[in-house]
Amino acid sequence: MVFLQLFLNGLQLGAIYALTAVGFSLIFGSTKIFHVAHGSAFAISGYIYWWLASQLDVAWPVATLAAVLAAAAFGLLMERFIYRPIQRHEASFFTVFIAAFGVSLVIQNLIGSVAGRGMETVTTPLSRSVEIMDGLFVAPISAISIGVAILVFTALSYFLGRTHVGIAMRALSENPDLVRVFGLDPGRVAQWAFVIGSAVVVPGAIFTAMTAGLNPAIGTHVMLVSLAATIVGGIGSVRGAACGGMLLGLAENLAYWKLDPQWSEAVTFVVLFAFIIFRPSGFFGTPTAAR
Amino acid sequence: MATYIINLAILIGINAILAVTLNFILGYAGIFSLAHAIFFGIGAYTAAVAAMKFGADFAAATAAGMLVSGVISLALALPALRVRGEYFVAASLGLQMLALTVFSEWKSVTGGIGGLIGIPPPRLFGFDVSDPVLFLALTLACLGVILIAIRALVRSSFGRSLKAIRDDETAASALGKNVALLKTLAVMVSSSFAAVAGSLFAFFLSFINVESFVLEVSVQVIAMVIIGGTGTLLGPVIGAAIVLLLPALLTYLPYLPPTEIGSIQQMIYGLAMVLLMIFRPSGLWGYGSSQDRKRAAP
Repeated sequence: MVFLQLFLNGLQLGAIYALTAVGFSLIFGSTKIFHVAHGSAFAISGYIYWWLASQLDVAWPVATLAAVLAAAAFGLLMERFIYRPIQRHEASFFTVFIAAFGVSLVIQNLIGSVAGRGMETVTTPLSRSVEIMDGLFVAPISAISIGVAILVFTALSYFLGRTHVGIAMRALSENPDLVRVFGLDPGRVAQWAFVIGSAVVVPGAIFTAMTAGLNPAIGTHVMLVSLAATIVGGIGSVRGAACGGMLLGLAENLAYWKLDPQWSEAVTFVVLFAFIIFRPSGFFGTPTAAR
Repeated sequence: MATYIINLAILIGINAILAVTLNFILGYAGIFSLAHAIFFGIGAYTAAVAAMKFGADFAAATAAGMLVSGVISLALALPALRVRGEYFVAASLGLQMLALTVFSEWKSVTGGIGGLIGIPPPRLFGFDVSDPVLFLALTLACLGVILIAIRALVRSSFGRSLKAIRDDETAASALGKNVALLKTLAVMVSSSFAAVAGSLFAFFLSFINVESFVLEVSVQVIAMVIIGGTGTLLGPVIGAAIVLLLPALLTYLPYLPPTEIGSIQQMIYGLAMVLLMIFRPSGLWGYGSSQDRKRAAP
């Protein structure tokens, strides 16, 4: 029964991780920008939701909409005012990484100064656990987060497979020059990738705010999980990132069977390291040679 | 006041060692590590344990720290550097989180959250060097030796191979360079030297705990290297001085609440990193224009 309980908790956390990692993977896959400030989009939208829903008593659809707008705007501004100016003169991994890292440092401390450095949670009846079987507790929020994750992935795969912008995004990941030849603006397509990739973190951020809670440093944890899930799933594969996120969530919770909660990040590291040693290309990635 | 200045100078020296050693992999080999504070910590804990349990003097304790740090960095770098740069970033971030948990949970060795208290005063070849002025001299001597060693390494064929790898990995491996091995060695050298800073730190404070080795410290060292200038010998030293003098200067601003100083400091160097990357990627001490830099490090 303990196993089943941990498995269910793992599914819920995995859904949140998958939603987070997919955004990072989408951005990295199509624009090749190692967007480590992705964790900041998570923190910003989570805190906006918390502030509106819990401090100002705004109805949840309005608060959610505001969180989505904030995350999308953050992604758009990053592309427009940070990444594009850098790429104009120098597009090395290094410069982009440092700049994104600097942004996440500023955002983290800004949130800490404005909203306080403690743990903040949005209280909702949805996170109250109900005993559905002997010794098995499930909160409605678990089912909701898994359902929303499935919904978002279905929408995302429809978007990437059937719409013009989605197809252009996949084209950008494979051959930017060809995108230009077809008369599309790669910059515009990249902006779409940032808007959508950033907006996708919002459900994960809201569910985290309702369950485990937010703190200003959460962006770092999100960053580690997104990086690990992207590598575990295979770089450039959106489906892989979703599976990687789910695997990390499950692994983290199943480890609670034997370990204390403070080892959760250690579990992420062990899974990541095992993949780096035994299967560096991840679940769905094509084998990459040393670069 | 004199003691304050000497203590600040010692801290700048210790941080300069960290920045210079990180710059060796970041600036010359193009390897990005988020776990530098961990190797600093391994050096500090190993030296502290060696001094407290086995009565080691400064030289022996530092050597032990360098050894442990080098071995652990090898275990991280060997698999992670085989693949691509992004993997090492992720793996080092993972190590930073994991090792911090080990530092705070392995109570019999690290003393847990409370840390290690009562590290004996440093002795070097039978002499007591706990006097602040002598200790400052010791710190500067260590910094000097490391600077000379890194300068020699950078100018050797090893250093030239690293720069070749940084500039074009494919070309370097086409010329017969064992890219993964050279990078791994670079990480090992850098991590062992970082342990020297850890040893100095442990003896200087005679008390260490987890707080000094968190991710923020790794980031702060990165900021020192970036602000000073990557791939230059003295840039990181200048960067370390700037970053550490910043909070001291901020305390003179009257309207700042003291609890916010740490946060404001981090915001300032976060912003500095962003602006430098957009307008001057080579750092303050680096090459003049981005054109020069392109030739030096694309």
